[in-house]
Amino acid sequence: MTATIEASPNAVPGSGAAPTTAPRRRRRMTVSARIAAGVVALIVLVAIVGPLLVGDPNAGDAARRLLPAGSAGHILGTDGQGRDVFARLIDGTRLSLLAGLVPVLFAAVVGTTLGVTAGLSGKWGHRAIMRTLDVFYAFPAVLLAIAIAAALGSGISNSIIALAVILVPPVARVAETETRRLADLDYMDAARASGASRLAIATRQVLPNVAPPVVVYCTALIGLSIVYAAGLSFLGLGVSPPTAEWGLMVSDHTQYIYTAPFLAAIPALAILVASVAFNVLGDGLRDLLDVRSEARA
Amino acid sequence: MLGYVGRRLLMAIPILFGVSIVIFITIKIIPGDPVASLLGPTGSPEARAALTERLGLNEPWPVQYVTWLGHTLTGDLGTSIARRSDVAPMVLDALMNTLILSAAAAVIAIVLGVAVGALTALRRTGILARLGNALALFSISVPQYSIGLLLIIYLAAGAGLFPVSGMYNPNGDGGFVDLFNHLILPAVTAALVPAGIIARMFRSSVLDVMSMDFVEALTSRGLSHRRVMVHAFHNTVPSLLTVAGLQIGYLLGGVIFVEAVFAWPGIGLLVYQSITQRDLPVIQAGVLVSALAFVVLNLVVDALHGLVDPRIRA
Repeated sequence: MTATIEASPNAVPGSGAAPTTAPRRRRRMTVSARIAAGVVALIVLVAIVGPLLVGDPNAGDAARRLLPAGSAGHILGTDGQGRDVFARLIDGTRLSLLAGLVPVLFAAVVGTTLGVTAGLSGKWGHRAIMRTLDVFYAFPAVLLAIAIAAALGSGISNSIIALAVILVPPVARVAETETRRLADLDYMDAARASGASRLAIATRQVLPNVAPPVVVYCTALIGLSIVYAAGLSFLGLGVSPPTAEWGLMVSDHTQYIYTAPFLAAIPALAILVASVAFNVLGDGLRDLLDVRSEARA
Repeated sequence: MLGYVGRRLLMAIPILFGVSIVIFITIKIIPGDPVASLLGPTGSPEARAALTERLGLNEPWPVQYVTWLGHTLTGDLGTSIARRSDVAPMVLDALMNTLILSAAAAVIAIVLGVAVGALTALRRTGILARLGNALALFSISVPQYSIGLLLIIYLAAGAGLFPVSGMYNPNGDGGFVDLFNHLILPAVTAALVPAGIIARMFRSSVLDVMSMDFVEALTSRGLSHRRVMVHAFHNTVPSLLTVAGLQIGYLLGGVIFVEAVFAWPGIGLLVYQSITQRDLPVIQAGVLVSALAFVVLNLVVDALHGLVDPRIRA
């Protein structure tokens, strides 16, 4: 992991000079990353205020089912029950985003705690934590999430729990790797020699340095998590109908795949856009981090 | 080398033990009463008590775990609630089909991933490289169920190039050509995400190796570009193995969406159908067998790793 981070394609040999003499430090994100940040901001905004602006997403008119996009009053047409697809798409943004975001937030907190603890513990503590996490690597992640969600029963909170469980181990690994790398550095010796407690070292010395790679990693995980969360709904393990949510919309619209193929593509496209935006933003943040670590070297 | 493989095998034992505990826990957190769902609403209290006794459900959890583990190790995976037949043969059949689909997808993913990764690493500018990067990013972000649906809409249902679903044509001869035709769309769908990840990792691995001192040394010694590339490629193999191994494991899980969309009769479809029927023995057995296949796969990857990179064996 660190190898790929440190081996930036832009790495300039000999840039280890004092930061002040470095000719140009690119601290700005690439254009694509900035566009992605804009898209992410827009999605968040839609999730917050969108549901207030559109009509009732569950109001259906059986006489007006499967209207094509661009029909009067229905920009994206209507679904099989005559409900406005645009309203459902906007209203569904909130749940789809939450179902993707909350597991990652949970995994970030728990995973970082576990990873830093493992990285700072002695041999046995380290082994106990990391070997336990290894067990979760023995499952194909999606299948484990499905097994947990199926066991708990469908519902959005259960799908969030299932995703959170499978996201903790990879985050913990990133945090642990970074912590172990830091543990060998001189300033950690200095902190230990000055008599700082373990907790103080963990929170004051380690956490600020572990946070950037974890944040970058988690940003990219959000895209994945949104796709998985929608996938669980698609399989019937997420929110229950008639709630508007992207994964459930895909599964709903699939039955009209021959009569109205465009219909299933709309929510799928929404999932794709959200996922790509978070992935590009994650890439951009990683590049930004590369430059910083280069200047520090 | 044998010692290395032996050590790896020993290390797999505690992992498998942990896997069995996790699966046992997922069985036990399931809300609802398995006895009631087996007997239906008409079960008398005596029948309930008898069945509870027979299933060992009034024993303490650790005892239940040991009993369950004993059955599992002897190949008895229980009885399906919905189909009223043994789970083991059902799951093994499905596993074979999943392995066929996963193997096909793995080949596509590795070939595509390495090609795109190498291309974008060696030609960093130009339209092809940009296209490759975009493709890699797109493929890791796209939900497999929607790509599968789009392929069905345009290539199977629309153009009629491929069959829409299933594994064999019910009226066909069940031969290889029939299987191959049914296999293409689900395999491509399942391969997309791993291909994108392999491409991105292989790209950074090639860039890594190309910036190493030995490349410069070989070049300055007058080796042809091709010879240098052979040496460089050799150095990317270990990381390629790691990523490819991880991604093939990912395939074993990701195929559930693909199998659900294309009605491919593998573990994923079996688990998916069992979710709606709340047929828990089948779900557990499906997850258990997949985890087992995953652990075996990781062992194979580790062994290959040791074979190509002597430093690891130490």
